[in-house]
Amino acid sequence: MAKRARYCKKVRSIAKKEVGELMREKTFILSLLIQLFIASFSTFLVIGLTSFYDPTIMGDIEMQGISVAVVGTEENELYKLLQESKINTRLYSDLTPAYGDFYEHRVDAIVIAPPGPPEGTDILNVDIYLPKSEIKATLISLQLKEPLEKFEQHVRDIRTQRLPGYSPIEVNINKRGIKTSSTYFEFIYVALLPLLVFTPAFISGGLVIDFITEEFERKTMELLLVTPASMLEIVSGKVLVAVAIVPLQALAWMLLLSMNRIAIMNFFTILLMVTLIGLILVLTSSIISVIFRERGVAQLLYSMVLIFLFMASYLFTNSPLNLVTRLSIDSIGASESALWVGLYTLVALALCMLTVATVKKTYKNN
Amino acid sequence: MSGWLTIAKWEFFRSKLKFDSRSAILLTLTLALVIAASFAAAQTQMSMNQKIYTAASTEPALRPILESDQRFSYLPVTIYDATQFYLYGADFVIIGNNVYLGDNPKSAAAGSALENTIKEYREIVLTSYNDINNSHPVWVTVHDIERPQNFQLLSAQGAAGSLDTGMDSGPNARSHQGYPAGEITTEYLNAGSSFTLPQDISDLDDYKARAFFQKQTLSTPSFFSPPIPFTAILYAFLFIFPIYFISQFYSTSIMDERTNKKGELILAAPLSSREIVIGKTLPYILVTLLIQAVITMYIMGIPADIRTAQSSLLILAAILPVVLLFFALSFFGAILSRSFKELTFTSVFLSVIISGYLFFPAMFTNIHAISSISPITLIVRLIEGETLQIGTYLFSTLPFYFVAFSAFLFGTYIYREEDLFTQKAVSEKITDCLEIFLLNPYGSVFLLSIIFIPFVYMTQLMLIVMLFNLPAPHSVIVMIALSAMAEELVKSAGIYTIFKRKLQLVTMKNALRLAILSGTGFFVGEKAVAVLTLAPIASSAFGAVMTMGTLLLIPLLLHMSTAAVSSIVMYRFGTRRYLLSVILATVVHSAYNLFILRGVLFG
Repeated sequence: MAKRARYCKKVRSIAKKEVGELMREKTFILSLLIQLFIASFSTFLVIGLTSFYDPTIMGDIEMQGISVAVVGTEENELYKLLQESKINTRLYSDLTPAYGDFYEHRVDAIVIAPPGPPEGTDILNVDIYLPKSEIKATLISLQLKEPLEKFEQHVRDIRTQRLPGYSPIEVNINKRGIKTSSTYFEFIYVALLPLLVFTPAFISGGLVIDFITEEFERKTMELLLVTPASMLEIVSGKVLVAVAIVPLQALAWMLLLSMNRIAIMNFFTILLMVTLIGLILVLTSSIISVIFRERGVAQLLYSMVLIFLFMASYLFTNSPLNLVTRLSIDSIGASESALWVGLYTLVALALCMLTVATVKKTYKNN
Repeated sequence: MSGWLTIAKWEFFRSKLKFDSRSAILLTLTLALVIAASFAAAQTQMSMNQKIYTAASTEPALRPILESDQRFSYLPVTIYDATQFYLYGADFVIIGNNVYLGDNPKSAAAGSALENTIKEYREIVLTSYNDINNSHPVWVTVHDIERPQNFQLLSAQGAAGSLDTGMDSGPNARSHQGYPAGEITTEYLNAGSSFTLPQDISDLDDYKARAFFQKQTLSTPSFFSPPIPFTAILYAFLFIFPIYFISQFYSTSIMDERTNKKGELILAAPLSSREIVIGKTLPYILVTLLIQAVITMYIMGIPADIRTAQSSLLILAAILPVVLLFFALSFFGAILSRSFKELTFTSVFLSVIISGYLFFPAMFTNIHAISSISPITLIVRLIEGETLQIGTYLFSTLPFYFVAFSAFLFGTYIYREEDLFTQKAVSEKITDCLEIFLLNPYGSVFLLSIIFIPFVYMTQLMLIVMLFNLPAPHSVIVMIALSAMAEELVKSAGIYTIFKRKLQLVTMKNALRLAILSGTGFFVGEKAVAVLTLAPIASSAFGAVMTMGTLLLIPLLLHMSTAAVSSIVMYRFGTRRYLLSVILATVVHSAYNLFILRGVLFG
């Protein structure tokens, strides 16, 4: 018991030393800056991209001052569909005047409606002329998609009857009037949130390599080992600091997101998850640093391991990133999440033992 | 000149020896694992969106559709339980042909995901029929055609003034000629471009595969998508990735010599610090460029004809300044840092900032003028099969070249014993650089202001990128304040150094003289930049902030007087009040710019 108390005390003093250095060197502040930068950048990205690329959000903005020339006849089905849409249309019977108006900026795009009947057998080709490198081109192509799809559906309704044994899937989705699209929703919960909360864990993994290898590089490890602290205590102290700062930062990000009206469920389970992954990464990089002692080699190996784990996360459900996503939107049952959090805890414990074994093996005499 | 060659050889072979057999084996093993995992991941949908929606359904017939998409976890329910679907955590329920959504954003998102899934499933089923005229009867062909531009200011809706980038998009482009005479036909408009409609279903996959890579020209309405260069951006990321790694090695190598004092031996050798720096840097840059060439080959294929060869070379030309900048900043960071920890953070910080600068504008490649500030945009366009003009290239890359060059220059100045092997404060080291520069026979605050221009310019462009999603006019006001701050910082840095290191007497006369020199230098450099590069974005309000149009004499006076504000504050209260002096100068500067731009902002 006394031995354990002594161990804790030494670990604490090593941890204190590292925290002191972190604060003195202002590196921690730099790290927070990095993450703030990523966060602000992603929010800009979300706002920017979704407003540009998401027709459902763009739908609220009137297509003011943008009109499209349609070359065709009154009866043409595509013309009727375009008229029903948000686009201002102008009908032309011939391409020449339409191009003239396009050239003079009176219309911003030309659509040539195919004259062929839907009942025919030939492919109907819709030619669309857009102004090169103008933002209007993108706006118009966003707005054109829906009428074009309706037109395709209209022709298909007639022609797919000729396909043997084909029956169209008739599903009618009753919308409740909430305007959101899956793209936007998934960007926030599948990409942004997991990336933000795990960034501190990734950074801590790199940080502990510097903590440990620096002592070797500066030849201060021998000095530390001369003091009554053993190698195991030194490493424990460093691991403790690196892991402790992970949930603090993750919590800050989650609060920031909540302030931006992004609701996050299962707050504490997510924090626990992030801490566990932080522990797993920090222990992995500690093992690497104790064995190799060379900062460059250790950092490279750690990056490789990190990329491997990241890529592997795509392969199975409830990978750490996916688990955080599912927790944040409450798409996972309590028993399932408990099972997986338990599994990651076991991995972390196994790594703890492995770290202890590695350190003891490398420093038998300590 | 063989000195740097020796160092380069030494650097090249010594770095290999760092890896003993154990770490080499482990590295190869992890690399193999990474490749295997990436390959396996590429077979999936490349998204971690497994089972994020729960679908309750009374219809077994729809089960295969829902299970074709990894986002849904399928929950069969009886008709009695169906009405209470939200109690089971389901986001929607399917009863017969109807889908009922819950009353929250997640359910709405699930509904929109279901719509897409059904659409995709339908396409798969239809494609299996191999009867294109009946299953995919409608096709869309998109043509981009030129027309005379009319420039407009950036309006509050964020719709940009249209821009003539001088990009030339292959077959369909036509120079600004007058209005064509006579009858306009589709043949005339499609001149030189050949679009052949698909003959059978196998062509469909062909078009889809191509659309993944290039700008879409031909597709069916269901696959019709706006020109988002996501894929090209993913590929562009391939280029940046090796640079991260190798620059890490490079800065570690420099830091290594500083901590172990190994570098002292090299400094004692009869070599100039320039030779040492060139020798240490060159191997890393060459290896990086070699990797970039391989990646270009991978993306563009082996150059078969002149055109692809040209595109590949242009891609390399666009990535070169990015490589140089990364290395220059790693070098400078490695000299400034006091420990490995600091170095790690510094390099991560710089990487994140530069990556943001590179990738964020590229997202808006086909949309906004601002996208051309990033070389990655050039690469994206080249991958999409466009060509590139020299003006655009210079506009994108010149700041990178200049900043990289000056960072190397200033870093080489302090590549000496007292800065490398002592625990000097970072600000002291930067002051050292400036001092050595100012002690040069050619060095002066006038020239220093000019050298700093590209730094300021890049900072300001970065600010535009960061701020361009805030609603105008707020974004422009914040932009004005921060831009002014950046300018005042660099104008006063030289004066600060002179006063702090007592290079000249701290007198009122000197304070004014230096302010006039520094202000004039900045003014001259700023105008040179404006003439050279700002044409592409001068049409937007942001461009106006940076150049201020045609008022010539007043900006000159302004730059002198704001520099004088900071230099007089430093003269009166000493260099310890440096920050205060810069803030005061910034306030004066911003007030002037707001006054000039009042018409654009509030008019």
